[in-house]
Amino acid sequence: MRVAIAEDNPLLRDGIVLLLGEHDIEVVAAVSDGAALLEAVKKEQPDAAVVDVRMPPTHTDEGLRAALTIRAAYPSIGVLVFSQWVETSYARRLLSENAGKVGYLLKDRIVSTDEFVGALRRVADGGTALDPEVVRHLLAAPQVDAGLARLSAREREILGLLAEGRSNVAIAESLHLAERSVEKHVTAIFTKLDLIHDRSDHRRVLAVLRYLKG
Amino acid sequence: MSGAAQVYRVWATGRWWRELGFVLSGAVLRLPTFALALLGIAACALSVVIFGLALLTGLLALARRTPRYFRAVARKLLGQDWPDVEPASSFPLADSTAWRALAYCFLGFVLIYTAAYLTIIALGSGLAALTYPIWWFLDVNPLEALDAHTWAQTWIAAGEGALLLFALPWFIRLVVLADSWLVRTLLQPSRAARRIAQLEAGRAALQADAAALLRRVERDLHDGTQARLVSLGVQLARIEHKTDQAEVRDLAADSRDTVTEALTELRDIVRGLHPPALDDGLEVALSTLAGRSAVPAAVAVDLAGRPPDATASAIYFTVAELLTNVARHAGATRAWITVTDDATRLMLTVRDDGHGGAAETSGADGSGAGTGLAGLMRRAAALDGELHIASPAGGPTIVTMTLPREY
Repeated sequence: MRVAIAEDNPLLRDGIVLLLGEHDIEVVAAVSDGAALLEAVKKEQPDAAVVDVRMPPTHTDEGLRAALTIRAAYPSIGVLVFSQWVETSYARRLLSENAGKVGYLLKDRIVSTDEFVGALRRVADGGTALDPEVVRHLLAAPQVDAGLARLSAREREILGLLAEGRSNVAIAESLHLAERSVEKHVTAIFTKLDLIHDRSDHRRVLAVLRYLKG
Repeated sequence: MSGAAQVYRVWATGRWWRELGFVLSGAVLRLPTFALALLGIAACALSVVIFGLALLTGLLALARRTPRYFRAVARKLLGQDWPDVEPASSFPLADSTAWRALAYCFLGFVLIYTAAYLTIIALGSGLAALTYPIWWFLDVNPLEALDAHTWAQTWIAAGEGALLLFALPWFIRLVVLADSWLVRTLLQPSRAARRIAQLEAGRAALQADAAALLRRVERDLHDGTQARLVSLGVQLARIEHKTDQAEVRDLAADSRDTVTEALTELRDIVRGLHPPALDDGLEVALSTLAGRSAVPAAVAVDLAGRPPDATASAIYFTVAELLTNVARHAGATRAWITVTDDATRLMLTVRDDGHGGAAETSGADGSGAGTGLAGLMRRAAALDGELHIASPAGGPTIVTMTLPREY
């Protein structure tokens, strides 16, 4: 897998480059601002881009804007956005325009290498990755959506894990459930949200979006 | 001739000419403000009827502008200066600044007009008397006012004229001093008002400094400390990945957990300092808060400008506290947050559909919500604002915070 990295702190940038190298991920470009990232992506056409939200020159949300530009211009390139803090509106902006190939994680998660690398691979493969902290915040607000209001506590929990981008197997593992029963719950969620039967992956994304837009 | 020399010496100073110009021009320049004062007196008499009150209100609003008018002249001719008057209070008829200015319009005109009248007479007769010997010599009597019978007597008259002209600058100076005294008592902001203005400016500077400091600390923590901790974590992860020794791997993993905890703590600290989301504007920050709220909350922000950091931060923390209260005590299912402004104020309203009784709740348990609401009131007061809680038993609870608009 080939990735481009945009991070303005040189220490951290080098760290990420080395870390990804050790996990057999090729870093084709490591830059320090949004404009340079867009150039690098245009030239290298990587599988995914890792982007820090806050970068020069304004230190506000240029990373997020660069990520949205990449998603709009190159549908095949996934973006994984890192933020210094939990900002649900950023997550909404990213996910409302894209079903899949996007991720939004707290910067802290880079330390949990396996989660970080896993999320990056998932995003490059067309999935989503959402920080558990962001999901927790979104879950804390009881949804106004009638369909979401019908969900049981267990189903909400599973929907939260779906939103993080986990597979049925991974959900079963983390909740100590049988995979079969996770599948049942997921089907129940789809039914309660009135999501018509389609390819199941697509429905997963729709369920997550419903839940984010609440 | 020494008298004439004295007169000449005083008359040669620029100050005297400027003061003379001040008094003479004042008699003309102060006519409109005197008319204003007379109208004011008439309006006071008429104030038993509504029309008179309306007129008086208008006149007072005009009178409030006169200090600047008087100051422009005094600045140019006398080099005097004084600070602007304090902003108008809400009720124009109780505006002491305007009343004092109106009094000055009257008294200042009477003083200057009388002085100018006397000055012109003194100038005319003084000059005529001083030059009397010449008139005598030419055998003309220009003013028919001089009644000397001998050549010697004309010299006495000349001496008197010189004395008069010598005294005139001192008279003018006295008038200017009297006018300055009137200006000090009637036009300049009172000592208390000046002190208040000074304190307000000091407090505003302190608030701006504090907000800027918190912002800088937040930025340093995020861009410096957090980035370093994450780098450290990444290095530990790489050690874990590279080593074959189980002991080293465990040690690195433990260290990495500590780093993760430190990062979580850091995030919590920063959130309490300066919410980073505020950098993207109040609406984004409040939406983030609402998204995090346990009770679904709708946010509507409609502002004509961007409030200063201290104000935005106060609104943010107030909303955070109120949403926590709503979730804990109100038994509400929805909450609404609105931020609006008008010409002078900024209003925050947080409403819920709960069972109300917020004030009683705080009284009953003495902690929790009570200290929270009191803290919010203090925060509002520190910014010259107010916080009102309307929470009848049975609900709903509506909390309104009003802050001065400073943008």
